[in-house]
Amino acid sequence: MNGQRGMSTVGAVLLAATAGLLTATLMMDWMVVDVHVVDVSDHDDIQVDAPLHIKVPFPLLIANIATGFIPDEAFEEAHIPPEVKAQKELVLATVRALLDTPDAELVKVRTEDANVDIYKDGDTLRIAVDADDAVVRCNVPIDGILDALEDWDWETFDPQMVFDVLHAAENGDLVTVATKDGVRVAIKMW
Amino acid sequence: MKRKVVILVAVAALLAAPAAYAGDETRWVNVHVTENSSNTNVEVHLPLSLVLTVLRNVDVENFHGGHVDLELDDDMDINFPEIMAAVKEAPDGKFVTVTSDEADVNVHKQAGNLYVTVNQKEDEMAKVEVTMPLELLDALSFGEENTLDVAALLQSFDKLPDGDIVKVTSNEANVRVWIE
Repeated sequence: MNGQRGMSTVGAVLLAATAGLLTATLMMDWMVVDVHVVDVSDHDDIQVDAPLHIKVPFPLLIANIATGFIPDEAFEEAHIPPEVKAQKELVLATVRALLDTPDAELVKVRTEDANVDIYKDGDTLRIAVDADDAVVRCNVPIDGILDALEDWDWETFDPQMVFDVLHAAENGDLVTVATKDGVRVAIKMW
Repeated sequence: MKRKVVILVAVAALLAAPAAYAGDETRWVNVHVTENSSNTNVEVHLPLSLVLTVLRNVDVENFHGGHVDLELDDDMDINFPEIMAAVKEAPDGKFVTVTSDEADVNVHKQAGNLYVTVNQKEDEMAKVEVTMPLELLDALSFGEENTLDVAALLQSFDKLPDGDIVKVTSNEANVRVWIE
């Protein structure tokens, strides 16, 4: 009688495993590449919404582990010029100072072909470019950039830097590019 | 009702206090460039602290740690601090007036400021106006090896009242640098 009403051991293990997997999945940082195609013959506005979306989500943890399998020789060939390392202190000091800067619009450029705006908003640097043939929005996590640069050896390319930056990024759009051809690509953090 | 209003005002004051404090503390360096021919307009608005940090960490040929090498010949013996002191102590009035076919140059001191104006009469027809508060002269620090401490000069901007530092107007472009 008890066996009929209660849960079997296998069922309990499966439920616990599913719950554990779901929790782990939700706790992971995910990156979603969202490709969005707009029929430009119908729309002048290149940022217009359209039903066709191709979304590719992937967990950062898996991507991070996968980079561990890239042979070291591949990175050794990607040497950074020594002139870059010479400016290490300047770059680090500038990023630290930027992090301490009060929120404000820092740069505003208006030309006949494009408008550029750079805002500091909390730990994020928001860059907006509105050109005739493309619209770009970029939200750069300044704290993530600083962490990545502090940990970097400034001599070879290190993919871990990219993950440091992505982990620090706020949820939402990281980069959005909308072109005149009707393709909009957004990289979102979740 | 009265109590609610008092609480709301208190909360608003508490929320506004840090913003007001931050506003008082941060000095901003503004640069505004307009290019007439291409209709280009550039506005840069940076905190003085950020500009100073960058300057103090730049390490290039003639500029190290906020000091610029003036590259003066060794046989030139100029006592910059003495010149600065003399300018500061001099009474208000016109110091230099140059009139030529190419440009007019005027240097005068008035109400605690040193003004340099250049009016170009040909080519770009540029008009340059530099306003230098005399407090800045105290911050002009010259090293033993003919170097000028630009970072110390900029640091002194912190004490200046809001206003224009440099203004250039010409047929091609206009530039304005001011502090607030």
